[in-house]
Amino acid sequence: MLRFVALLALVGLAVCDDCCTTEDRKEVQTLWSEIWSAQFTGRRVQVAQAVFEDLFRRDPESKNLFKRVNVDDMNSPEFHAHCIRVVNGLDTVIGLLDDPDTLKSQLEHLAQQHKERDGIHKTHFDEMSHAFGAVMPQVSSCFNPDAWNRCFGSIATKIASLLED
Amino acid sequence: MKVLIVLMACLAYVAADCGPLQRLKVKHQWVQVYSGHGYEREAFGREVFLEMYNQAPKAKDLFTRVRGENVFSPEFGAHMVRVLGGLDMCIALLSDDTVLNAQLAHLSTQHKDRGIPNEYFDVMKVALMKVVPGHVSHFDFDAWSACYDVIANGIKH
Repeated sequence: MLRFVALLALVGLAVCDDCCTTEDRKEVQTLWSEIWSAQFTGRRVQVAQAVFEDLFRRDPESKNLFKRVNVDDMNSPEFHAHCIRVVNGLDTVIGLLDDPDTLKSQLEHLAQQHKERDGIHKTHFDEMSHAFGAVMPQVSSCFNPDAWNRCFGSIATKIASLLED
Repeated sequence: MKVLIVLMACLAYVAADCGPLQRLKVKHQWVQVYSGHGYEREAFGREVFLEMYNQAPKAKDLFTRVRGENVFSPEFGAHMVRVLGGLDMCIALLSDDTVLNAQLAHLSTQHKDRGIPNEYFDVMKVALMKVVPGHVSHFDFDAWSACYDVIANGIKH
C-alpha cells in the first residue's frame, strides 16, 4: 500500500511538473486580461509585433512562413491584421482555460489549421513559446513566468500535436 | 429656423454614422460584453445564436460541421468563440481603418469560401442588437447599428 502511495506521488509529480493548474489558469487569465482589451487596439498590435520580431531574430527562416501576409513589410496593414489574428487566437484559448471540453475542441481545430499550412514544425511552437516568454514580462506587470510557461506550453504542445518535429 | 433645421439634420446624420466617437463607444461597450472568461463568452454566444435560429431556423444548417444543432456541445462552443473572436478583432480595429480593411478582406474571403450567404449578416445584426443591450449599460443603438454595418459590409461578398 505504501509503495502504491509513493508511486502515485511520483506519478503526480512527474505529470504536474509542467501542467497548467487551476491556479495557473486564473493567474494567466488575470494577467492576460490586463494587457488585452478591445479598447486598446495599438496594444494588441504592439504585443504581437514584438513576439514576431523575437521569433524572426531567433529564426530568420521562419519569416518565409508569413509571405502570404506581407511579412516583408511588418508595418503593412496585412501583417498587422495577421498579428492581431494570431494573438486573438491565443486570447480565445486563454479565455477557454477554465472550460476544458470546449478548450479541447478549439485546440483540435487550431491543430488542424496549422497542419494544413506547409512548413510549420513543432520547433516553431517552441520558438513562439520562447518569444511570448520574452515579450510578456515587458508588457505585463507582476508577470508570473512559471504559470505562464506551464499553460502556454500545454497549449502549444496541443496545437503542434499534428505537426512534424 | 433654417439654420436650426440644417443643424438638426447634421445631428441626425452624425447620430446615424459610425464616426470616430461612435467607434470609441462601441469598443468600450463591447468590452463589457466580451469579458475574459470563455464560459461567459459561450453563454453570450448561445444567446446570439439562439436568437439567430429563432429568426432564421435554416441558419442551423450552416453549422452542421460544428454541431450547430446542440449549442451546448464543446464543438459549437469552440465555434462560437471563434466567431465572437472574429467580431472582437473587428471591433478592436474600428479605430484603425487600414488594418480593419485588411482584416475585413480576410474575413470576406473566408466567408465566401464557406458559402455563407450575405443575408445572414443581417440576421446576426438583429440578434446582436437584441442580445447586446442586456449586457451593457447605456447601450447606444445608433452607434452599434452604424458600426456593425461597417463591419458586415466589409465582410459581405
